[in-house]
Amino acid sequence: MPEGATKSVVPLFPVLLPWISLLAILLMPRKAPRLRLWLCFAGSALTFLVVILMLPGVLDGKTYYFKLASIVEGLEISLYVDTLGYYFALVLAFMWMLATLYSISYIDHKHNRFFAFLALCGSFLIGCAFSRNMFTYFIFYEMMTFGSYPLIIHEETTMARRAGYKYLVYAIAAGTVLFFAIIANYFWGGGVLNFEKWGLLSLETASRAALLTIFFTYIAGFGVKAAIMPLHGWVPDAHPAAPSPASALLSGVILKAGAFGIMRVIFNLFGIGLMKELGVHWVVAVFACITIVMASVFALTQDNLKRRLAYSSIGQVSYIILGLAMVSRDGALGGVMHLAHHALMKACLFLCAGVILVKTGKKNISEMRGIGYQLPVTMICFSVCALAMMGTPPSVGFISKWLLGSGAMQAGLPVYVVILLVSSLLNAAYFLPIIYTAFFRWEGDEEGAHHPKLDFSAENDRLMMVPVVLLALLVLVVGIWVTVPGFPYSLASRVVNLVFP
Amino acid sequence: MSGAFKHLPIMMITLPMLGAALMPFVSYLRREAVPWVSALFLVVSGVLGLLLAGRIPPDGCVGYRLGGWEPPFGIELKVDFAGYFLMMVVCGISLLALLYSRLYIIREVEGGKITAYYVLFLLLSASMMGFVVTGDIFNLFVFMEILAISSYALVAVTGNRNAVRAAFKYLLMGAPSSIMVLLGIGLLYSATGTLNMADLAARVGETGYREVLIASFAVLVLAFMVKAAIFPLHLWLPDAHSIAPSPMSAMLSGLVVAVSAFAIARIAFSVFTVHSWGVVGTTLDALAAAGAAAVLFGGIMAIYQRDFKMMIAYSTISHMGYIVLGFTALNPEGLTGAVYHVLDHGIAKACLFLCAGNFIYRKGYRRIDQLKGAWREMPWTCFAFALAAWSVIGLPPSAGFISKWYLVYGNVKADRVPYAVVLLIGAILAAVYCFRIIYYMFFQPGEEGAWRDQVMDAPAGMLAPTWALSLATLFFGVFSYLFLDSLLKAAASLLA
Amino acid sequence: MNLWHNFHYAVAMVLFCIGLYTVIMRRNIIKKIIGLNVMETSVFLFLVSIGYRKGGIAPIHGPGADPSRMVNPLPQALILTGIVVAVSVTALALSLVILLYRQFGTLDVSRLFREEEEEAG
Repeated sequence: MPEGATKSVVPLFPVLLPWISLLAILLMPRKAPRLRLWLCFAGSALTFLVVILMLPGVLDGKTYYFKLASIVEGLEISLYVDTLGYYFALVLAFMWMLATLYSISYIDHKHNRFFAFLALCGSFLIGCAFSRNMFTYFIFYEMMTFGSYPLIIHEETTMARRAGYKYLVYAIAAGTVLFFAIIANYFWGGGVLNFEKWGLLSLETASRAALLTIFFTYIAGFGVKAAIMPLHGWVPDAHPAAPSPASALLSGVILKAGAFGIMRVIFNLFGIGLMKELGVHWVVAVFACITIVMASVFALTQDNLKRRLAYSSIGQVSYIILGLAMVSRDGALGGVMHLAHHALMKACLFLCAGVILVKTGKKNISEMRGIGYQLPVTMICFSVCALAMMGTPPSVGFISKWLLGSGAMQAGLPVYVVILLVSSLLNAAYFLPIIYTAFFRWEGDEEGAHHPKLDFSAENDRLMMVPVVLLALLVLVVGIWVTVPGFPYSLASRVVNLVFP
Repeated sequence: MSGAFKHLPIMMITLPMLGAALMPFVSYLRREAVPWVSALFLVVSGVLGLLLAGRIPPDGCVGYRLGGWEPPFGIELKVDFAGYFLMMVVCGISLLALLYSRLYIIREVEGGKITAYYVLFLLLSASMMGFVVTGDIFNLFVFMEILAISSYALVAVTGNRNAVRAAFKYLLMGAPSSIMVLLGIGLLYSATGTLNMADLAARVGETGYREVLIASFAVLVLAFMVKAAIFPLHLWLPDAHSIAPSPMSAMLSGLVVAVSAFAIARIAFSVFTVHSWGVVGTTLDALAAAGAAAVLFGGIMAIYQRDFKMMIAYSTISHMGYIVLGFTALNPEGLTGAVYHVLDHGIAKACLFLCAGNFIYRKGYRRIDQLKGAWREMPWTCFAFALAAWSVIGLPPSAGFISKWYLVYGNVKADRVPYAVVLLIGAILAAVYCFRIIYYMFFQPGEEGAWRDQVMDAPAGMLAPTWALSLATLFFGVFSYLFLDSLLKAAASLLA
Repeated sequence: MNLWHNFHYAVAMVLFCIGLYTVIMRRNIIKKIIGLNVMETSVFLFLVSIGYRKGGIAPIHGPGADPSRMVNPLPQALILTGIVVAVSVTALALSLVILLYRQFGTLDVSRLFREEEEEAG
């Protein structure tokens, strides 16, 4: 029982509620396929609702605890809601709900399989967010990893199969490394893996070499999910191959599960102090910087829209890692907040890409001339998010970058600011051409033809448009009213206050 | 333990034996009743075992004197928690495989031999139950021989040429190894003058015949390595396990070899004990090295197989390496991992073989590439396979994960990180060969006409045991906390 | 304790090796089974010689019997069990040989297993 925690069964509900969707798929009559899908959505909406209901308590500083099973002394499977875990759960429950809604009209075949695994992954991810210790985290994390495989290869094209194969290879290797990391932590760290303290290991309990081994195996294990170069290989293949809502979740949430794992390792297991003492934050920061720059450079060369977005995600997730590795208050705050911010922006971008794909069948940016006139709402939302990604105020992207920059100054390392600026520049270099192609190029523009009329008729699919517009609005709203309770700042600042007392 | 309860262990063992003896009469009266009556004997035996639950102290053991003779003169059963646990595992898996046989075996075995099949089956289960709890080393040999003879016969039971050849190969490696066990026992007896394990444990530390002890342990380990098919003495296994009828493969692969591997642990810990490891430690080191080689060799060979059952058989070789690496870590965690691995390996491997049996029964398919698209016609079998494969790989929350955790942890704790890494590589190899099949079944379109579009799975009588096993992998993963505490204590007391 | 006094152990070991050699090297499967039996016999010899003492008498209690002169009866009991086991293994092996001969028409191991390779390849 963690200190000061309230014993409560509430954390169990968000983990179990997605199973309603699964039951709906299994038990509902075959005659009402639509109803089944709506029940799936109801399951995800209910999950989100329950998570929201926990907000006041969490903002009050309460923590909740629920024990599922205790395997042996010191090794238990239990749920624990602290601010950081709750923050991640809130983000992912929201994303999950929107993606489910979007999928209802996006997915056109094998609904059952897709929605079943969508729900399963949702449940497991919430389990990840609410894990009390690394052992529980690993259990949910592995199930989530393999549960998302059917989402990636859903289209069953050759490309999807190949991407799925690559994903599995990376996932299995990463899972193995992580497994070793946890065992090493359990053994050399004195048999504790719990998250409730801010720094569990110390040089008194374990030798330096052991701690370094544990740290780097953790980073390598989670780094595959968090797409730290050179472990990112699966990301650019998996995103374009997966259906758009699945790519949105991959980028928005599943990559973040890796980043969240790194947060748990850095904040809870090692603690900022120990990390500094070991000097490992340098290594992580260097890898994160390389990833940020290289991913943007790679993104420049991609013509496939989702592939470009995927590379962008690789770079953006490393913002989070860089924020953590700065070991400064604002840096950590920016990193933690960027988890939610990037999820909002990138999910919206991927959902827009999905709308484009469904309505026009176009995948490549070079084919998208004048698409802003065919799909105006979508492309406006896309532009909003793309601008936010570059860090234009007023948007969530600006907040993240501002905080990260300020964190770099706090840490006394302006070089990180340079990296951030270079990255923003590169972001602009690969996002602006898309906006330009969409709005300022059209068929026959070189011969002086007038631009086509705005045509709203194609965007008649509300189930797909609602999530897109909602996300784009949130990108602005969260970026303007930053401190509203329940928005990322309110939770992330609490976390950072605990990490840097 | 008092009263009637103290007779329970021996009753668990003798009941199936009695059943085996009675089966010809049952068959004479009513041939269709044979499977049910044999199952009944195992059920009763299992229920008696359940009555014992909670009566075995986790850190001690319950002795039973056969015929009331005082040990060390009489034969003694020593039921410690690990032995009891394995006895229940044997009983449960045997029961499910037996129930599965009812429909399956009439396809492969001609009418007159069906009774013989059940007789041998019951003998096999009874001998394995005795094998894991006996407290007398010569009795161990006797149970091992009953086990071996019934396995040879059961491999050959279909009577077709490949089966007879595989059985003969098995016998040619098995029989000399049995003789070596007897030789090892003889050497041990000549050095100590007793056959009772507890007595031996007390005397091996004192005896002056160090060389004889070393020779005896080496001979015993070598002999049981053949029985447990530990690389490089595994040659008989792939043929025997893939050619035997599927429920029999489940027994052989899931239980027989694993129980034999456990016997090495039993001899090392209950007979030679911690005090003599200084003397026999080299053999244990060599054994661990062989185990590590087995993990890698079995896994790699499994990847290259084209025959489905052959692949599972090679996977068994790999998993025997796991068990060996577990108990040679010589700490409670490693031993617990090994015992728990006997359980989850038994369940998962049995389930895989029963799934293979379902495919053979319905479609006659044995090749892996024929399984492409199997999901459309046989979804239940495919799901059961996926769940069991989950455990073979050791992914959470299956039982395989728990045992993998303890195996790796035990090895890290014993300062054997390279072996821990070997175990992890073994899991990766398992992932490769299991995911390939899962991928074929669920995500690959089948060849034209290979599978129908409508669901036509194996009959319920076969699906039920298959599913019981695949759910058991989950059960023993999720509810592992019910057993692990006691197992750890039992392991610690074995190593004390 | 020299080899001469313990020559029965040496004989047992030599027999064991002869048996093992036969099992491994002989191509005829019946000879392999004979080798198996030689191995068994060697172990029985070994066991019985453990319990032997010079000038010992049969371990039967009765008037006039001197327990201190009796040979150890336990190995003999073990051997009895061992013989039973050995006989059943041999019987099973021979029945398998009969089946093999019926189906393959040969007793030569290399031919039995060469066919297997052909079938596999």
